[in-house]
Order: sequence, then C-alpha cells, then structure tokens
Amino acid sequence: MNRKIKTIIILAALVLPYVSAVEANDQLTDNTPKITALTHARLMIEPGKILDDATLLIENNKIIEIIKNNKVPSQAYVIDLKGYTVYPGFIDPFTDYGIEFEYPKVEATSPIYEIKRIGGNAKNGAIHSEKEWFNYVHPNSEQANKWINNGFTSVQSSYQDGIFRGQGVTLSLADKTANEIIYRSNSAHFLAFDKGSSPQDYPTSLMGSIALIRQTLADATWYKENKSKSFSKTGNNIVEFNNALDKLSNIENEQIVFDTDNLNDQLRAAQISIDHELKATLLGNGKEYARIDELSAFSYGLILPLNFTAAPEVGDDDAEREVSLAKMRHWDRAPANPMTVERAKVPFALTQYGIKSDAFWPRLKQAIEYGLSEDAALAALTTEAAEIAGIADFSGRLKPGYMADLVISKGNLFKDGSIHSVWLQGDEQQLIARNSHLLDLTYQIQIGELTLDLMLDNSEADSDKITGTLSSGEQEITLSNISYHDKRLNFTAEMSDAGFEGVNRFTLWFDSQGLRGRMLDKHNTLTPIAGIPTEQVIAAPLAEDKPESSLISRLTKPNVAYGIEGSVSSEKLHISNATIWTSDEQGILEDTDLLISQGKIERLGKNLSTPSGYRFIDASGKHLTAGIIDEHSHIAINGGTNEGSDAITSEVRIGDILNPDDIAIYRALAGGVTTAQLLHGSANPIGGQAQVIQMRWGESAANLKYTEAPASIKFALGENVKQSNWGDKFTRRFPQSRMGVKSLFSEAFNEARAYQQELKAYKRLRSSEKRNHIAPKPNYRLAAIVEVLDQQRDVHIHSYVQSEILMFLRLAEAYDFKVKTFTHILEGYKVANELADHGASASTFSDWWAYKFEVYDAIPQNTCLMQNKGVLTSINSDDYEMQRRLNQEAAKSMMYCDMSAEDAWKMVTINPAIQLGVDTDLGSITKGKQADIVLWDHNPLSVYAKVESTWIQGKPYFDRKQDKLAQQSIAAERAQLIQKILSSEESESTLPPGEIIEDKSEPEWHCDTQFDVWKQSSQGRG
Amino acid sequence: MINGHTKTYLNLSWALRSTLALPLLMLSAFTMPTQAHDILPAPVQTSAILFKHATIHTAVDGVKADSDLLIEDGKIMAIGKELLAPEATVYDASGKHIYPGLIALDTSLGLVEVEMMRPSNDSREVGEINPQLEALTAFNPDSEIIPTVRVNGITHAQIVPRGESLAGQSALVSLDSWTVEEAIVPTQTAFHLYWPRLKPLPSDTKKREEQRKDYQDRVSLISEAFTDGYRYYLTHKAETKSKLDMRWQSMLPLYRGEAQLFVHADTQKQIEEAAALAKRYQFKLIIVGGYDAWRLADLLNEISAKVIYTRTLSLPMRKDEPIEMSFKIPALLKQAQVPFALGFSSDWNSRNLPLAAGQTVAYGLSKEEALKSVTLDAAKILGVEDMGAIAVGYRANLVISGGDILDPMVTKIVKVYIDGRDVDLNNRQQQLYQKYLKR
Repeated sequence: MNRKIKTIIILAALVLPYVSAVEANDQLTDNTPKITALTHARLMIEPGKILDDATLLIENNKIIEIIKNNKVPSQAYVIDLKGYTVYPGFIDPFTDYGIEFEYPKVEATSPIYEIKRIGGNAKNGAIHSEKEWFNYVHPNSEQANKWINNGFTSVQSSYQDGIFRGQGVTLSLADKTANEIIYRSNSAHFLAFDKGSSPQDYPTSLMGSIALIRQTLADATWYKENKSKSFSKTGNNIVEFNNALDKLSNIENEQIVFDTDNLNDQLRAAQISIDHELKATLLGNGKEYARIDELSAFSYGLILPLNFTAAPEVGDDDAEREVSLAKMRHWDRAPANPMTVERAKVPFALTQYGIKSDAFWPRLKQAIEYGLSEDAALAALTTEAAEIAGIADFSGRLKPGYMADLVISKGNLFKDGSIHSVWLQGDEQQLIARNSHLLDLTYQIQIGELTLDLMLDNSEADSDKITGTLSSGEQEITLSNISYHDKRLNFTAEMSDAGFEGVNRFTLWFDSQGLRGRMLDKHNTLTPIAGIPTEQVIAAPLAEDKPESSLISRLTKPNVAYGIEGSVSSEKLHISNATIWTSDEQGILEDTDLLISQGKIERLGKNLSTPSGYRFIDASGKHLTAGIIDEHSHIAINGGTNEGSDAITSEVRIGDILNPDDIAIYRALAGGVTTAQLLHGSANPIGGQAQVIQMRWGESAANLKYTEAPASIKFALGENVKQSNWGDKFTRRFPQSRMGVKSLFSEAFNEARAYQQELKAYKRLRSSEKRNHIAPKPNYRLAAIVEVLDQQRDVHIHSYVQSEILMFLRLAEAYDFKVKTFTHILEGYKVANELADHGASASTFSDWWAYKFEVYDAIPQNTCLMQNKGVLTSINSDDYEMQRRLNQEAAKSMMYCDMSAEDAWKMVTINPAIQLGVDTDLGSITKGKQADIVLWDHNPLSVYAKVESTWIQGKPYFDRKQDKLAQQSIAAERAQLIQKILSSEESESTLPPGEIIEDKSEPEWHCDTQFDVWKQSSQGRG
Repeated sequence: MINGHTKTYLNLSWALRSTLALPLLMLSAFTMPTQAHDILPAPVQTSAILFKHATIHTAVDGVKADSDLLIEDGKIMAIGKELLAPEATVYDASGKHIYPGLIALDTSLGLVEVEMMRPSNDSREVGEINPQLEALTAFNPDSEIIPTVRVNGITHAQIVPRGESLAGQSALVSLDSWTVEEAIVPTQTAFHLYWPRLKPLPSDTKKREEQRKDYQDRVSLISEAFTDGYRYYLTHKAETKSKLDMRWQSMLPLYRGEAQLFVHADTQKQIEEAAALAKRYQFKLIIVGGYDAWRLADLLNEISAKVIYTRTLSLPMRKDEPIEMSFKIPALLKQAQVPFALGFSSDWNSRNLPLAAGQTVAYGLSKEEALKSVTLDAAKILGVEDMGAIAVGYRANLVISGGDILDPMVTKIVKVYIDGRDVDLNNRQQQLYQKYLKR
C-alpha cells in the first residue's frame, strides 16, 4: 500500500507544474471552448447509484449533462475514460485550509481578568463569533495538495481557535483567486470548549467554558431583541455595540460545527446544542462506539477523523502495567468505529483532521475491512460532507448543474483502486499520468528486423526509478539511464550481443496501439521502433496482511476495566438474619430480616419468610446498613473542579461535567458509598453549582444524577479564596483578606437582589413599554445567587475558622436566608451554639489538621462537640481514597471523643442525607425509602470490615465475588490484547503508524486543585 | 539475648516472691486531664512498675492473656503469670491490652509544623545530591504535632528528609524529649535516595521525548554521584590525600558497609534499578514505598533488601488493578517472603499508622503480623535490636489500651511509656477540646 501512495506523490510532483487557468497578464481574452466529455466511464452519481459506461459532460466549471448512451455532442472535447471511475469530488468539512490569519500575541502575564476591547468584540477573549473567515481566505496550492492528493476538491474551513471561533467558509481547493474559490462565504459557526490562545484566565475549566457558551447564547438572544431599543426616544439606556453577539443573532437557524476531542465532551456538546435547539454537527474522536446509543439519541451528524491509535507500549512488563485496559481496547476497536457509527444510523462525514494526509486512504480502507460499507464511505466523503459544509445544492453528486469537482480513479477506490486525477472546477489535476500504467507492462518491440521483449517495471517500492530489460529468449540486456519525461521514455542499452554495437539510445512514446519511437546507434543511425503490449500485468496482489478484523476486546459500560456488560436491574431480595443499622429511630436491629422490591425497602422484621421470586441471602453474622453518603466529593468529573479565575463563578455547573467513566465510582461502591455531592472547589468565594450523584456504575453521565436532590452551590471562605497559598503571582484579585471576603459576598448579594428587582420591574411593564425598554441583560451568575437568597438553592460553604463562620452566619441572617451546611468547618466546635441557633449543619473531616495555618486549631473531637450542642454533623471525604473508607473515618469519633456507634454511623448516612435534602428517600433503612443498602462482613465501623455487596435502588452495583471474577477476566483480556499487539508488531505492517493518543492528563481533583485545563497547567495549589 | 534476660527475670522473680507483704500501690486508671497544663517530657523511670492481668501483645512471642509485665530502669524485666515485685508500683491492667510502642517509619514529624507555611517547613532542600544533609538538624521536639501522634501509641518515629534524588540522612527519634539530642535513638547512618519516576507520557511526540530524556538525565545524575562517591572512597581507602568533599565524605560509611541506603521507589523498574545500584556497591538496601516490591522477591532477597511499604491507605496505583490492591500488598509481600514493615509517609497524619496496619487484616495479614509490621519489623529494618517487642531486655516502650490498638472503633489508649517513662498524653487538640467542653 505504501508503494502506491509513494507513486502518487512522485507522479503528482512530476506532472504538477500545471498551468494556472488564469494568467495574470493575459492580454487576450481566453475564449477557449470548455466543453469536455468524459466518456465510457463508470459514474458514481451518488451513494448507491452507479451508471456504467456513461458520459459526463462538463462545460466550464459545471456538470451539464449525464449521457447514458455515450452520444456525445460533436463540439465536446472527448476524453475516453474506459476502465475508469468518476466520483464526485470529496469534501472535508473540518479544516483550517486557506485562512491567512493570526491573533496578535498578548504580552501581559497571567492572571489576566480582562481583555482589550476593540471594535465591538466580545468581553471574553475566547469568543470570536464576529469573525467571518471568508475575509481571510487566500489559497495555498502547496497546502491544498494535502487534500487534493486524496481526492478532495473542497473543504470547509475556519481558524480553529477559541470557544466561539467565528463563521467558517466553504471553498474549493482549486488554485485560483480567493474570489473564485469561495463556495459559501458564511458556512457553519465553529464552536469548541477549549479556549485556545485566549489570554484571559476565564474560563480555566470545562464547566467554565460550557457556562460561557450558555451565557453568550443568552446574551445574543437578548442583544437581538434589544439592540434596536438603544435609540428609541423613551429608551432608558443604550445597548453597547457588540459585533460578536450580533453575529450570533440567527445562530439557531444556522449550522454549527462543534469541535471536541473526546467522547464525554462530544456528548456534552450535543447536550448543550440540543438545549439551545442548535443545528449541530459534532467533530468525532474515534471512540463513538463506546457510547453510540447515547450519541445516536441526539440525532446529530458527525465528522469523523480516522485517528486510529498507535499500539500501546507493552513490550516491557513494567511499561505494560501503566497501560490501561481501556487503552488497549481502543487500539483493538478504533478501526471498527466508523462501522459502528454507520450501523447506529448516525450520519457522518469524514475528515483528514488529526492525521497525516497520507494516512487517510489506508485508514479508510482499514475501516472498510472492519465493516464500514462503501456506500457509507462515499456518502461520508460527498453528500454528507456537502450537507455539513452547506454546499449540498451544487456539490457532492454527479448531477447537471453541480460543480465539475471530480475524482477519477482506476479501480474501486475503496478497495484497491487509485486516484488518477482530480478535477477542480472543471480543470484537471493529474496525479498519475493517464497512461502511466503503461510503464508497468511488457511489450514486444520491433527494431528494424529484430524482435525483442521490452519489460518495464515502475513498481519498485523503494525507488523512484523505472527499471527494464530487453530480452530475447535466454538473453537479457538491462536498460540504463531510464527516464520518463514529457511523456517520453528514454533509456540506453549496450546491445552488442544483439548485433547493435555499442551503447544505443532509445526514445519511445506511447500511442493507442502501443509504443513508437526510435533508436540511435553508435553511428547516430536512426532505427524506427514499434511495439505492442504482450500481456496485461495485473497489479500483483499487494503483499499485505489483512488486518485481523475480528475484535477480541470486550465492550463494556463504561468501556474501561470493571465496566459492565448489559445493564443492572433491580432485585427482589430477602436478606435474612442480619444486624441492621437502620440510621433511623429503630436503631440497630439484631437478627433481623429485610425485604426489598421495586427498588424500595419493603419490609423489616424478624424471621420473615421468603416471598416467591425473591433472592434469599443468609446474612447471619453480617451487618446491613444504608448506603454511605458523602457530602463533599470531587470524583467523577472532567475538566477541573475549580473555575478558579473570577472570584464569583456561580454560573458554572458540576452537573455539566460528570464523568461516568471514572473508576472512582466503582471504588466508592466497594467502600459502601452510594451517594455523593460533587462540589465545585474552593478557589473562589462563590464557586459553582453542585451536583448530587449516585454511584450508578455503567450508566450515562445524565443517569448518575440524583435528580430529586434540591439545587445546591459551593461557597468558600478563608485561605483558598483569598489565594493565600497560590504563589506570589496571585495577589491582585479581590479579596485577599477575610475582610474582603465578607465585602465581596455583600456585594454579590446586593447585585443579585438588584438584578432580581430589574427583572421583576421589566416583567411588570406593558408590552408596548417593553418595546421601548431595554430588558435586563440575562446574567446566569447573578441568577444563581438570586436562587440562594430566595432559599431555592442550598449553600454548602467551605470554612475553617470561627471568625469567618460567624461572619457568614450573620451575613446570611442579614440577607434573610439559612445556611444549609458548613463544609470542613474544622473550628465548628468553637461556635457550635451559634450554628445550632441558626439551624446550620456541619460536615467535617474526622481528624485532618495542621496542613495549613487555618486548620491549626482543628481537633478530632470537633464532631462530638458540635453534635452535643445540637448541630447536625456529618463526616465527608473530599478525597478519592478516603471516600472508600468513610466508615473508618466515622469510627474515629468513637476513639477520640466516645461517640456512640449509632451516632457515628449516622454521620455518614442519614445526617449527610439531611444536609443534601435527600433524606425523604435516602440515608436510612426505613420502609418505603429507596433500597440503597450495603452488606458488610463485620461491624461496619471496624477497620476489619469489608463491603460484600452494594445496592442502589435495589440494583446490585457492587459485589465482591463478582469483583473477583472481574479481576480475573480483566487479567485474561489484557493478556489476549497484549498478545494481539505483540503479534501485530511482529508482522511488518503496511499501514501508516497510528496516532499517539494519550488521555488528557487530569489530576485527582481536590477542593483546592487549581488547574487550567486548557493550558494543562497548575496555577499553584492552595 | 532474649534468653539471657529471661534468666535474669527468673532469678529476680524468685527473689521477690518472699516479700509479699510489701504494700501494693494501685495506680488509678488514666483519666482525661480536666485542665490545660504544660506538657512536660516525662522524667526518667525511677521505680519499677508491675502491670497485672493484662493481655500482652508481645509482637515476638504471641499474645499472652491475663499476664503480668514488670518494667524497671526503662527496660522490660519480666513477663509472666502472677509476677511478684514488692518494690514495684502495681498497675491493674485487667481488661487492658499492652502493646509495644509503635514505630512510625518514613515520617516528617518535627520537620514540618504546617506544611503550607514555608517558614515552618524544613523537610526539603534544593539540589539533587545532598547526602550530607541530616534530618536531625531540623527536628523540633516541641512540635505541637508530636503529642497528637504519640497519643495514638506511636513512641518513635523515623524522620526523613524529602527531596529529589539524594536527599540526605534520616534519624530515629523518641517522641518525648526536651531536646533533639535526648530524642536520638542511635541507628546506622541511613541515606535516602528518591528514585526518579517517568511521568505519564503526553500525546505530543516531542514532549514525550523530552520527558524520557529528562528521566534519563536524572538517573544518570544519580549514577554519576555514586561513581564519584566511590572514587572518593577509593582514595580514602588507599589513604592518599584528597581535598574534602562534604558530599562524598558523608557517604563513606555507605561504601564501608556501615550504613543503609533507603531508596524511595514504587514501580518494578525503579526497584530493579535501585537493586542494581545496591548490588554494584554492595549497599544494604531498604526500599521505601515498595508498591511493586512483592513482584521482585528473588531480586530483593538475593541482596537481603527489605521493604517499608507506605501505601496501605492509598488508591491502587493503576486503574486496572484490583480495588483492594494497596490494602493487600502487605499480604503479598508476606507471601513472597520479602521482609517488610509498614510506614505512613506524613507528618500529622502518621498518627493513623495503627489504622493503616489494621487495614491490612481484612486483606490477608493476621492481626499479629499487622502489629509486628509497625513494631518489631520496623525496628529490625532500622537495625535496632531492643525495640518493637515486649520481651525481656527490650526497652520499656509500651502502649496500654482499653481495646484493640489497630481498630479505632475500640481503641482507648490510656498510657504510653517510652523507656519506662510515663508519657503525658495531653496535647494541643485535647487542650482545645477540654477548653471548649466548658463553653
């Protein structure tokens, strides 16, 4: 296969000095008639529709007719394409071709909170929606050849930088002026989550990017509705001119292309597009197969790159251990991804994006070997791509009126064919001279009286050279100095043996019969030559090992180690003779039975009989508890737990960035944890909106959410928010002291109230008044704070020392809302009375202290002191590891301050349930509540206890015996995959090397992880 | 040695039997201090103490139910049933457990007060080749953290300099002393080498190469340092003159076989490279961290290396590994017959060492083995021969608890003795607790 690619390139170079259609200084008008008939060809009219032995009639740059009987109008110039196939030119809908532009470099050092406003641009440095990239189109033939050589004739292009990247342009790859090649000046809007080169800190996180998109779209709608009110006579204000918003005013009717680089982000892009009723096409990532059902439910089209991952390094056992099963599986399955997408009936186009252009065809053929249909492949390159690029009404098919953008191949391109020429707007660009195959044949030639066999070979893999021999019977003469230029074949041969003395010079050319030419002998005597081909050398079947197309890896949900096949269903269970820790007023019940059905606690009692259809579990000597609830966790999220840029970021939502692939979910289950509140970090006083999840391993991100939980938000106080431990660069953001923190909160609350008043006032206006009054600009940041003030959103506030705790209690009282939970609150014991009086609850660490100054007065007796004063207290983890041992953390209060076992256990079950507002259905083993239960082999507070099984809604999500089996099956699957990788490396591959694809490095998130995911850098750690 | 002392005990107890009439002074059970007071280092043991009717976890000779224990002059004098010691103060330990004092390995106690406050953090130095640094130099016996650690039964700690590559020398200290010098428990010199680790490689080919090269450079730097040290040692051995080089001078005991090399390494590759280094110079090797060490029993046993496993309360190092991997590695080490002890690499958090030991029990170690891994095995790794067990002749480092020391649910430590000295169990946290109980 390599050989072929090479040939194409060499010949392309050979033929290329191709004359531009327009000469700049042409004095004369070019009136050459441009009617061309491509006759006797196989025409791929559109996917699934083939015409054999037909003619395609072209005039200038358009197709004007398809002629089935080859009756060509006499004025047409005929090119006989017998034996050739004509495809519509291919379209790549995701490129940055032909855009001459660069954003100016910003010299300022970070942190940068505001950017330069210039020319009505957006407030955020990652929003470039005012850009219309056709303004910057300039063709570049060298670049264009990267596409043309693969049969592409047009592309959709945009400068790929930022979140709102501007409106793309669809253009031809022809080497003409910009004006001639632009097919569609305003094609799709390009969007991404990655803020790219924006110098501004905000957003540092994925949830920040999502929030910014949401806010910007709302702003655009508002702008559209209000900009005309600026100058109304009764108007109350003017609307600032904002070109970026203006250009988004019609976005819901326009196409968008969403660039993401992984499956979870792709699904998030789909979600935000659906939420805003956008017409989206999603850039693919190659892992669509892993959640294809979720993806196809959105009914969005895809642009698939053919990035097949390089084989992971497994040669050395130490290195191999670092390679996850997920990665090996992806290596196994990536080539089958296009097939999976096709079978899920998700429309898709293909792109060269993300791979080297010479890998494109080998990869596409590999995908076809793995089951992608040729029709789908063709559609992906033509009709589907044309739709996405907005040119389907004149491109992507062989149809009268469509552009004469064509690909001409010898043979079936999707099997063993090769592209011979590409027609761009009616002009041919030959990649392989139409008769070049003639250089691979054997001819019988006549030199005067002499008949000889001329054998030519142009197929040598490692050489550009043509080789050849002249022979007669046993005798053979090797040819020297062979060259093929200007359609003439020259060589020399020492032919004394054949009766021609000395070195003879040959000049030959091809014609319809075969070969013609002459030979000059040493006396310069000219002898004419004629030759005919003797045999058709059928291209030797490529010595190519078919890749093993049978997939050996399992496909699980999530598609990582310990993922599950199929789905988990709710059980009917009779658990008998257990010690049941109810976490409610029933206390701890010895030798008690429990029935669960339909995901609920059905009944508790002694010596119950097993109803029919119930699974019986003998739990003698074992303990049964409600699932553990963690008030404070940062597992199972992507792209940063902190939007640590601005001091107030209440618009960001943890719910946007759930990561259902995180193994931490499974590990939490193994520690008996069934529910957790995922909180924003503590990098700013007003962080983001929290999300309560259940550890439903194997479900989608959306299904992890415990939707019954009331809305909540993370606030924070102390060292982290005043950037005390962020390093010397971070001394400019307000606040830098606890005094400033209070002031900032007051300010935020005041602003939120004012915003709420404005909204109310506007709502009260008559519709005629509304026509003249500018509506308040939507502000998701303040809207979330309004919810807090209205008690519609619970506050979980990170806090340590007594001064700040009291400050916030009193502030909340002044603004007339109740603080739900102080989280961490290591000095809560000092103000337990005040907390109890306010009705705030506390969620703390069992024994953490001394890691920073504000925790120097932390004591492990904090729980008891607060509890004794009537403060509802829980223990949280804020940590991946500790989360799976929260039972032990609770037990520490028994050691340090003699808490009763029952109270200690409540600190990790019913108490956090109350704090999260989910206690009506979770947190205790109470009849009618959700069956979130855990079976332990010992007293659950003991260090010697292990979880045997964990159920959520009666579904068995973890079972230690199953886990043992999973461990074995993972080991076996790894071993198989390693063998497959190693043997693929043994045999020499004809495929281009795979892309090196590593997971984006994501640290374990903690409350204080300051990480700019877009710059992949930590910004100090507090 | 143990036998020799046992003899002494027999003679002594025989002598004491006849003096039954002497008054027995009953010690009252420990009560929580009700008011804040200065926390003074305990005075030297002046009178013998006889603990009666205790459950004694010897760590060397099983668990002795309802037994007595006699300590005198900071040493364990006798263990047995119905011991008599007329001169001794009697402590009724019925219903109580007695354990050897726990030894916390690989800590930064006394070197770090508040990690994020730079002025209070003396645990690491700049530079990569600093064998001459001594942790003791920076040890603060008045750290507020120390009393909160010993209240959990930890009597001694190895304090270790942190850093990259050769970070310096650790020391073993008692957790109750007036001064640094009083705290020292002599051991062989212990050097600490942090083996570099190749970080996860990014997708970008150029950055991958950079990362690989950076790793190689750091490994070469280590290997060069040891070569240079060896050159210095050779000149020294040949008694030829050479200028003083503090780094290599400090390392001489290592080449002479009079010191130990602690290499902080977790992956198989790191451990293999560390073992190769140790073998080349015939160093006495201790692997710290030791996550993959159980896979390398032959290699480690061939050079009599030992392991301090520090990751019990950690996540599995790799995503595909069994969820309980970190918990069961001690059992795997045991199974592979690699000598090991447990450590807890922290400052304040090293007080959770008993919990870490307890955690191994549900995953394959026996309770006795778990206890041994934080007492006797720890002492053996440091080459200390009279600590970590309750046996005659051993230092009287004892912990008395109302319940199992490894299971916080029932742990109730009422007394801690270091060299027979009755250590004050009050601490900053207890003081704050008592204060706010009054609010």
